[in-house]
Amino acid sequence: MAVEMDKHSLLESFSIGKGVVKPNRKVYIVEPGSIKKIFHALIEKYGYESFYLSTLIGTDLKDEGKIRLDYYVILLPEEETIVLRTHLPRENPVIDSIIDILPGALAGELETHDLLGVVFNGNPFLKRGAFVPSDLVEKGVYPLRKDSGV
Amino acid sequence: MSKVVEIPIVTTEVPIGPQHPALHEPIMLKVYAEGERVVRVEINTGYNHRGIEKLCEKNSFYRDIFIVGRVCGICNAVHANVYVRALEQILDLYPNKRAQYLRVLAMELERIHSHMLINAVMAEIIGFETLFMHIMLDREKVMKAKEILTGGRVMADYMMVGGVRRDIDEEKRSRLRDILLKLKPRVEYYKKIFEEDETITKRLIDVSRISYRDVTSHGLVGPVARASGVKIDSRASDKYDAYGEIPFNVVTRNEGDSWARMMVRWDEVLESIEMGLYILEHLPSDGNPVPDEKRLPRKFPPGEAYTRVEAPRGELTYYVMSDGKGQNPYRVKIRTPSVNNIINSGFMYLEHSLADVPVILASLDPCISCMERVTVVDLEKKTSYKVHLKDLAGGRV
Repeated sequence: MAVEMDKHSLLESFSIGKGVVKPNRKVYIVEPGSIKKIFHALIEKYGYESFYLSTLIGTDLKDEGKIRLDYYVILLPEEETIVLRTHLPRENPVIDSIIDILPGALAGELETHDLLGVVFNGNPFLKRGAFVPSDLVEKGVYPLRKDSGV
Repeated sequence: MSKVVEIPIVTTEVPIGPQHPALHEPIMLKVYAEGERVVRVEINTGYNHRGIEKLCEKNSFYRDIFIVGRVCGICNAVHANVYVRALEQILDLYPNKRAQYLRVLAMELERIHSHMLINAVMAEIIGFETLFMHIMLDREKVMKAKEILTGGRVMADYMMVGGVRRDIDEEKRSRLRDILLKLKPRVEYYKKIFEEDETITKRLIDVSRISYRDVTSHGLVGPVARASGVKIDSRASDKYDAYGEIPFNVVTRNEGDSWARMMVRWDEVLESIEMGLYILEHLPSDGNPVPDEKRLPRKFPPGEAYTRVEAPRGELTYYVMSDGKGQNPYRVKIRTPSVNNIINSGFMYLEHSLADVPVILASLDPCISCMERVTVVDLEKKTSYKVHLKDLAGGRV
């Protein structure tokens, strides 16, 4: 339990806000630049065995002019779900990729890039058309953006 | 004196898929091999992307229950369950105990037939087709049980907000119990075959052994993770529906190879049969599990929910966001276990021989889509007919 508290205080030291997603998933709102630092710190301090990245969710918040990225991380061995939430500008959504330190981010980053147009700096595998059909790729449309017209 | 000719080893590209007899799923593995040794694997996806997340944004909360049930035929009850629970979290509305037990029963029946299917497919892939036929015959009993419970042999559409769609009576209870009791010795027999048969053990043991650290750093989930000693199971940690009250063990093994992944599945089938029998024995009677559809709330408050379910293939997660403005969800995000298990699994094939590639893929239990057949259209005769993939691969068309 003591180690668990440590993980939370580590996450808290990076957070600029807090929230909760039902049912009881703690949300730490962080700067886009901190994401890579947080994963680095988790790996450095507790090792690869202490957590895994479950889901990466991008949401287009058109009215706020932002794209929201949620990293859902499962802390082991307690299997507690926590959320690292960050916001990117909608016009130029760029963030550092974490694939070089955490290969499990591949699926999430590929999908978020293909469907929402978020660019993950340093991910060599990013490509359009991993999921989206080729006619939409040719038009340069990101289907999950609210104004994509899809 | 004979002259020694050295043949240089070059890297050969072997495309496997998107349609291939060893794959039951539209995915393409571009395998680069030096001789028989696999040195690099590229995984190409997108052959079956149907834009369901977008479709969910365009339809109402209640219609989406039927859409998400069609993400996957094999595990449609878990998809509907995890989506419905996300809606219930947003609405603060919860089903009664009887409905929760019935939901668990439907999901466990699904786990039994899904695990039996992939074990049968594994037998087929390594050339043990008799075993495939036998397992599929017994799997049919489970499909019947699912039909008795939900009304649909495959597509259940069983979950609804605040409960389930059908109740069961005493007669159905005893029929379900009979089926599960008949199934148990059969599963024990198959488990014994997987433990003892020479063909199976030779092809599976030591193939693609992965460690605890590989699993967590690549985000692998489900039986794949549990076969490497990673004890993760959303049933045990989230205790959703009635899982907090029904006794069961989380099966783990430490070998971490393809054989261990299949054995974890057999043990989970046995656990699920026990859970099913427990539910039929202890089914609570605290009211009608079928809610009145007309009384369900029409308006959804703003809110977001992230629910997890242990699908047969691993942790399945849904994120649903409501902005409170209309009838449709603002965002629905589906992350199926196969997304993590297949896309992130490129490293598992390295240094194995080409013949092991289908075995490794099958041991990950890729979510099998409806690609078992293709339709051939003959333009000259203006007719179309269906061909099994095997015939296509064998050049018999």
